Amino acid sequence: NLSARARFQAIRSLHMPFNEKKTISEMQFLNTDLSLSSFTFLKVLHDISGLISPLFQSFRRFRASLASARQHLIIWQGTLKEIGCRFGTSVLSYFLFLTWLLKFNLFSLIINFCFITIPQIVHAPNISSITGFRGLELLTGVGYFNQTVLFYGGYNGEVIVSKPAYNMQLAYFFTVAAYLVLCGVSLIYSMSRSFQKNFVLETGPVSGGAWRLLCSWDFSVVNESLSERLQEKNKMSLSDRIKHLSLHLLAWLLFLGLALGSGAGIYFLGTDPELVSSFTASTLLLPVVVSLINLIVPLLYSLISKIESYSNPRAKIYISIVRCDHCFVTVTRIITDYTWHRINRFTFISLFQNCYSVIGTMCIQSLGVPEFDIARNVLDLIYAQTLDWNLLLPLLPVMQVLKLFIIFYMKKISLSMNCQPPKHTGRAAQIQTVFIALLFFPSFVGALSMVAFTVLKPSDQCGPFQGLDTPFHIVFSWTDSLPENHWVGWIFENILRSELFYYLISLIVLVITYFLWQITQGRKQLIKTLREGIVNEGNDKAFLLNKLQNERRREMASFRPQVLVLMCSVCSASSLHLVVISKILYSTERVECNCGDFSPTNTRIRAPT
Amino acid sequence: MGNKQTIFTDEQLDAYQDCTFFTRKEILRLHGRYHELAPHLVPMDYTNDPDVKIPLALIVNMPELKENPFRNRIVESFSEDGQGNLSFNDFVDMFSVLSETAPRELKAIYAFKIYDFNVDNYICKEDLEKTLNRLTKEELTPEEVNLVCEKAIEEADLDGDSKLSFADFENMISRAPDFLSTFHIRI
Repeated sequence: NLSARARFQAIRSLHMPFNEKKTISEMQFLNTDLSLSSFTFLKVLHDISGLISPLFQSFRRFRASLASARQHLIIWQGTLKEIGCRFGTSVLSYFLFLTWLLKFNLFSLIINFCFITIPQIVHAPNISSITGFRGLELLTGVGYFNQTVLFYGGYNGEVIVSKPAYNMQLAYFFTVAAYLVLCGVSLIYSMSRSFQKNFVLETGPVSGGAWRLLCSWDFSVVNESLSERLQEKNKMSLSDRIKHLSLHLLAWLLFLGLALGSGAGIYFLGTDPELVSSFTASTLLLPVVVSLINLIVPLLYSLISKIESYSNPRAKIYISIVRCDHCFVTVTRIITDYTWHRINRFTFISLFQNCYSVIGTMCIQSLGVPEFDIARNVLDLIYAQTLDWNLLLPLLPVMQVLKLFIIFYMKKISLSMNCQPPKHTGRAAQIQTVFIALLFFPSFVGALSMVAFTVLKPSDQCGPFQGLDTPFHIVFSWTDSLPENHWVGWIFENILRSELFYYLISLIVLVITYFLWQITQGRKQLIKTLREGIVNEGNDKAFLLNKLQNERRREMASFRPQVLVLMCSVCSASSLHLVVISKILYSTERVECNCGDFSPTNTRIRAPT
Repeated sequence: MGNKQTIFTDEQLDAYQDCTFFTRKEILRLHGRYHELAPHLVPMDYTNDPDVKIPLALIVNMPELKENPFRNRIVESFSEDGQGNLSFNDFVDMFSVLSETAPRELKAIYAFKIYDFNVDNYICKEDLEKTLNRLTKEELTPEEVNLVCEKAIEEADLDGDSKLSFADFENMISRAPDFLSTFHIRI
């Protein structure tokens, strides 16, 4: 007794040609489980129900139109389909990641907007010093823009006088904290879900290539390297191995040198006292340099990796991700040591960087048509998102959303104009997990550690935390201001500030994790035993079949064909028959005589003469 | 829902929606594609259920199927006569199974039918060899092909009859999370 929807889903999943499914669905429509023998009765019912069927029909049609409307809401679905069609699933994974990031940023945008920006815009603070607007401010972000809502300085920490007084400082602090917590939770959730879908089922011998044989069908991608991958490759000679190892070593040395060099360059540029705090265009030098480095160095990395040859194209992608990621993390950590002003510029600059890279790919087509470099593009996205988290400005998600929109269309255009379909297929199902894990571990955890800003003294001139020792003091002063036995104050004092609470929580979480882990181990053991059981059943079946065949063969062999004389007991006529005696003994076959018939009981078997 | 189209009656469209994974709009679009394949053969008016079949040679020239090494087998396994002549119902059925929303079990059943070249309900070594040759466009030597197929059967065959039954196939597919995303043709 399934619901109507589940029933229709079950019909759709039937393995039958269309016409039979149609018949079944028509019978289902009457919600009966009568047997097929009452088919005529059903037909009569069907004709009668034709009177009331329009009601059911229109209801079903309404439900179907809801489903198709829901499809329209999935953003970019048509474009994603087209990209997947022409370039395969591994390139599609990049665009899926981009879509995921977009949804993520939209969600954070809503939170920030509701709690922080709208109150601030509605009750605009007094702008203390207004300098004239020059065009350069668009790029540098100081001066005029500094006091608007776009930047940190535009928020002041006053308490807005309205029906319930709205404390801006508290709002800012708690919103940012809640936003980070939600980000972390949703990242962990997405990661664990894709992890579970893709990795947990891989028990048993997966190193073999059998499944690859039957699942390598990625349409419109020509598998030139499939033959290499399917073969056994452990026949390299010693000199070949040494050559490969030395190439790998050289590549890693070059990579390390480049990373250190760019890190040192950025550090020296950043601490150059002349460039610190001036309003001219020279303050743009550092961001531009950083963006140039981010553009050029990965290109160099991919050139380097061309000289190495990897057995597994997936290893290639992962190693290039590791290298580029290291570079980005270094750069990010160094530049986030600086004040808010400079960091604001980076977001603008990185937007322009994307424009440059797209225009660059469109113009430079000398080395033949390039392939879409998934690793580099993913890392660009992650880098931008890291900046976003490090800065914690309320309006950054807006820029991020706009940027992602623009990037999507730019990449799509450059893809269709320039790139050819990739030569190697990757295991695209797990790539989403890897991307999200990359987003979580370096970027998010790094951003969390930068929330050490809660213990640093905030700037005195601008921002919502003017005049406090640390931003965290706002919470203390708020709880102090609450009436004596208020429940929030009590919770804060006795639970959140006591260490015992945290010990208990960690202990409980550890115990639960241990139990869950044991359950997983048990299930793995169960799977192993069941698998062995299947193999044993197969062996049993083979053994029994064999035994049966041998028995029968022996039976048949022991009965040689004989000539028998059969006599009819009615007319005593006799005739010669060539039979196998077992047939006569076991069969009830009647043999005809001219008078009547020979039945086995009527015959007398005489020994052959 | 404007009833501006005259290709199908409403009951027919409802039946298609109930039995396949497509919406109304997609079914009408599919009919357009079907008609394009053979405009002189396929009528625009399907209200009286005409019995029209398009031959295999025209269907495998569709851009969605052209690049696929198994296009002949796909069309054959969805045709009623086994020769690859598809009526519109078979056509819709085929793309419905190959669409994104079809469940894994259904796809596994049809994948098994596609790889079973000699249609004996088992994937034997010759079937695997043909599969491999189509995938690699005959670039491997016969010894390599032999080796790979033997290894594949050794790994996947659980009941020891040196050919893959549907249960063995499904067990092997369940280890490959890519299967559901690659066994998929967008139209």
